Amino acid sequence: MSERAMQLFLVVALCLVATDASAQGKPNAEEAFFLKHVAPIFEQRCMSCHSDKTKKGDYSLQASATALDKELVEPGDASNSLLVEMISVIDGKAEMPQGSDPLTEKEQQLIRQWVETGAHWPEGFELAVKDTWWSRQPLKRPAVPEVPLDQQRLVRNPIDAFVLAKLNEQGMALSPQADRRILIRRVHYDLIGLPPSPEEVDQFVNDDDPKAYEKLVDRLLASPRYGEHWARHWLDVVHYADTMGFDKDKVRRNAWPYRDYVIRSFNQDKPYRRFVREQLAGDVFYPGTTDGIVGLGFIAAGPFDFVGQTEIEDGKIEKKRVQNLDRDDMVSSTMTTFVSTTADCARCHDHKFDPISQEDYYRLQAVFAAVDRAERPVDFNPKIAEKRYALQQKLDGLAQLGEANKAEVAGLKKELASLPKPGLVYAAATEFKKVARFRQTGGQPRPIFVLKRGSERAPDMQIGAVRPGALSALEHLQSHFHLPEQHDESQRRAALADWIVDDQNPLTWRSIVNRTWQYHFGRGIVDSPNDFGLMGRKPTHPELLDWLAVEFRDSGQRMKRLHRMICLSTTYRQASSHNSKYAQIDAENRFLWRMNRRRLTAESIRDSILLISGKMNERMGGPGYKAFGFKDDHSPHYKYHEYNPDDPKTHRRSIYRMAVRSVPDPLMTTLDCADPSINVAKRTETTTALQALALLNNKFTVRMAEHYAARLQAMHDKPADQIRSAFRLAIGRNPTPQEHETVMAIADEHGMANACRLIFNLNEFVFID
Amino acid sequence: MMTRREMLWGLGGGLGGIALAGILMDEGLLAAEGGAAPLRLHHKPKAKRVIQLVMSGAASQCDTFDYKPRLIKDHGKKWDPGEQVELFQSSPGKTLKSPWDWKQRGACGKWMNDCVAPLGDCVDDMAFIHNMVSKSNVHGPATFMQATGFILPGFPSVGAWVSYGLGRMTDNLPTFVVLPDPRGFAPNGPKNWGAAFLPAEHQGTMIRPSAANPINDLFPPNQAKYINPQSEKDVLAALERLNLEHAETREGDTRLDARIRSYELAAQMQLSAPEVLDISQEPDHVLEMYGVDAKDTKTQDPMNEGEETRFFGKNCLIARRLLERGVRFVQVWSGADNGHPRRNWDSHEDLKRDHWPLGRGMARGSAALLKDLKQRGLLEDTIVLWTTEFGRMPCSQGSKGRDHNPFGFTNWLAGGGIKGGTTYGPSDEWSWKPAEPDKATYCYDVHATILHLLGIDHTKLTVRNGGIDRRLTDVHGHVIKDILS
Repeated sequence: MSERAMQLFLVVALCLVATDASAQGKPNAEEAFFLKHVAPIFEQRCMSCHSDKTKKGDYSLQASATALDKELVEPGDASNSLLVEMISVIDGKAEMPQGSDPLTEKEQQLIRQWVETGAHWPEGFELAVKDTWWSRQPLKRPAVPEVPLDQQRLVRNPIDAFVLAKLNEQGMALSPQADRRILIRRVHYDLIGLPPSPEEVDQFVNDDDPKAYEKLVDRLLASPRYGEHWARHWLDVVHYADTMGFDKDKVRRNAWPYRDYVIRSFNQDKPYRRFVREQLAGDVFYPGTTDGIVGLGFIAAGPFDFVGQTEIEDGKIEKKRVQNLDRDDMVSSTMTTFVSTTADCARCHDHKFDPISQEDYYRLQAVFAAVDRAERPVDFNPKIAEKRYALQQKLDGLAQLGEANKAEVAGLKKELASLPKPGLVYAAATEFKKVARFRQTGGQPRPIFVLKRGSERAPDMQIGAVRPGALSALEHLQSHFHLPEQHDESQRRAALADWIVDDQNPLTWRSIVNRTWQYHFGRGIVDSPNDFGLMGRKPTHPELLDWLAVEFRDSGQRMKRLHRMICLSTTYRQASSHNSKYAQIDAENRFLWRMNRRRLTAESIRDSILLISGKMNERMGGPGYKAFGFKDDHSPHYKYHEYNPDDPKTHRRSIYRMAVRSVPDPLMTTLDCADPSINVAKRTETTTALQALALLNNKFTVRMAEHYAARLQAMHDKPADQIRSAFRLAIGRNPTPQEHETVMAIADEHGMANACRLIFNLNEFVFID
Repeated sequence: MMTRREMLWGLGGGLGGIALAGILMDEGLLAAEGGAAPLRLHHKPKAKRVIQLVMSGAASQCDTFDYKPRLIKDHGKKWDPGEQVELFQSSPGKTLKSPWDWKQRGACGKWMNDCVAPLGDCVDDMAFIHNMVSKSNVHGPATFMQATGFILPGFPSVGAWVSYGLGRMTDNLPTFVVLPDPRGFAPNGPKNWGAAFLPAEHQGTMIRPSAANPINDLFPPNQAKYINPQSEKDVLAALERLNLEHAETREGDTRLDARIRSYELAAQMQLSAPEVLDISQEPDHVLEMYGVDAKDTKTQDPMNEGEETRFFGKNCLIARRLLERGVRFVQVWSGADNGHPRRNWDSHEDLKRDHWPLGRGMARGSAALLKDLKQRGLLEDTIVLWTTEFGRMPCSQGSKGRDHNPFGFTNWLAGGGIKGGTTYGPSDEWSWKPAEPDKATYCYDVHATILHLLGIDHTKLTVRNGGIDRRLTDVHGHVIKDILS
């Protein structure tokens, strides 16, 4: 079965479950036959289209009254029953199940037999619709598989047991462990996005301590560079950038605090539940904290139609469209990021593949109905934030008591006024200074209607204004928030956040561990990390995914613990060498018979060049650097050709690059950095002539090669030593004699800078392993 | 069996690499992960390349190609279409006729405005669509719609889809090339020619023929004195040697081979690209036809006809040279960002001031392009598409300008598989909306038609992203049969 047919098969398995038959009395033999053999087929293959609710072709199989329609079923005479005819396969095809694989020979035979013997259906028996799609099944901790004795030495933690179990099924095995030199370079790039220094390599290679590798992993996880690297992954997913996008791509001067917040959150190993809550409703959950406000930058991270928002008068259809699409981005970014669900597909019609109704979708829009993307005040100093909040609380309390406390009120006000002026963050906001025709809601939600065909001209007035809520497809969760009639808009966001981080929400926990896995291995257990629906991919290791999800959820949702577990596994420590036998069975290495060789990201390439050239400016946080000349205008101009590669302000890690949506950075884009207009789960990896030209000729690499040469020359007198160090710094090993000779010839003939430029272009420099 | 290293060296290094290109490509070694679609055409194509001329700022249909006697008759009178009209900036002013005259042109007798008179000679090769409609009346989203089929950012450009679907015809130049207006970017900037969720190799490569570095990073910067032709040659040879040795010990990873090969392609591009841009090889009469040396017209206005003619004509000429050398898709822009003074078609204040120079310049260049392609036999299998993000209102804004009109504008096509001298999809009596609103034409239909002519069924060219099998035409699009030859 093709992947696609397989998926269709599974959605058809939105099946029915038998109600307890014994309640209706003991079934006779024919009825028992039906319950045992026929009902399961109907459940698996027919019910998604033919239940009382779906009733495609005006036919429901749910209960006997409709199922045994005279037109379709002639009890005792299978050859005269249309139902039997429709499922019968002729030339490899059958009319039903429509758009899916036909029933098997056995299944057809069972149904034929059931009709032939009288089409018995137990009295009162009915089938109930049940969702069997993998990602929406409740999370349970699976048992760790037993591993054969001779393989037990390979099991460093349960990850290995799960991986080995799958490999054994396929007749494959893990590859030998990678050598230390390779391992340190791999884990360095993986955890901090930078190469190890030659000293770090030597130290690790020669470390006799049996815990040498664990120490290494722990050292990297404790490094502030870790947060800078992993925040980049998160910013890809949430489509963060420093400009608005669209026409007149204005600068967001105060978007960066959110970027810093993400870095800080990773470095602090913030529990994931808190991380999610801060980003959707930190103002509710953590009042008086800096991160509770800055986290709201998540909601505002995506593009903003500045012209549409500021130049069109409220009330016009076009403005409604702009606002509708603005909220659409908030909904889709939220659902994609946290629950790997493509809710936005239900904007114009019910979701075609997943059980998400249009009403579900607009309930989600209602969650964001009062917020806009704008600048809001925040105290960057957590102590001041706390203080201001406490004072304000007191003041509010007194205000309710009335006149008597005038002096105290004045005192408090004075104290408030003496606090340092707050800064600004670009985030979800309900109060802000108006910009032309872009006005605050003041916390008053805009009315949200189900839009027929997604058209602002066609609100569904019969349904009326939609109340906030979440997806109705998750069995154990309340999709209606049941907020009181009078409530603060922030309660809507808080309710959605709680729905997401509920222990019973299976999507959330699977989603985050899968993303993490992907960044370690280059491929997720589910290879569509933004889509766990029908159009996504299915997990290669479903039990492992669930085990990780439960383990993560129940042990404090600490990312660093998850990284540690993954990095310490035998699976992760494998060599990436080829095995032609296994490649025949599993060319894509879905079952992890080896480690995947990975190409460095655009950021890691640039950061490594800066680092080894001795130019890296390690300053963390604050406004981003501009890798372009900037002219503010009616439409601002971003002029990359004016970039000066010797400007030390730009020698910071790439995560601090000011990302412009309309005019992407030519170097980074060519090297496949994420497009901040879309929620990027996994970067595409291309190999092009333009990439070769960029690494050869971009003024950054060309200039850095000179700095690299100067650094090497300052380190050693002899060119031979310089070349040795050039290799050690760039790729963590000494050159072979032939390599040494080749590069030496270039250095002799054309100078060390040319040798360095050569090294920046090596395959080994841009690939890990 | 020969190792890959022996194979390359055996073939004579660099030169052998060229022969090897075919091998690598057949094996899909150069394709990215999930990369170029190994597309077999869905039907026999009529064309194999496309040039898209984009008028940024919204070119007026009723001052160029969409003739309406009613506007001349009612000029200066209250404009009353009988329903309430919501405009982008203003309230509807009085009926406004074009400042210039109309004449019938060509054997088909198409009425054309003097503002675009140079295209009169070509009208029998052109097919007009007058009932174009946009989903947005804001420049950014509407430009995205023409460029990518969606009013939101994050979708691949038409050129990227064509590159993805059809692949390249030459190794020496990019598949999709963009020639921006030399004064700056249109709304959304280079996002208009991005690859979005398609592999980056399909994004438009920008060429700015008049800039100091017409192609980004094609050559090392001038400041880099340590690089010279000999060092370049030696470094690339050493690089290949080291990369081959590296790949030798890492079997089964085609990406490593592809990357080695990409340096050879880069070298080929270095040889080919400057040659394309060197228009001095063109004979005088060709340069004259494109107006490459047009003289400035005396005017106090920010734009003048001579300058526009030079800008646009030169880009059209280079576009032709690119197409001739195997580039699949070229996008040429007229009009830059919204700024002051005006440097695009967004004539809110003064139609005469902006549209005349832009229209004359555009018409001269595109007429030369059509004639030139035709005389070289290239028009037979090249599609030319002229478009803009939306139209302009038949009523006035202020007294001399026109506000946005998303309800009606014009596209025209010419070339491979297009029936010349056709007018399809009339607008209403004012050139405001489609005469039959339920038969409006959207960019989806135009894009579907172009893909159709290229041999592609627009419903079948899909890429899975964000839970949807994405298409250039979303869930819409009908091939416009009436304009096919």
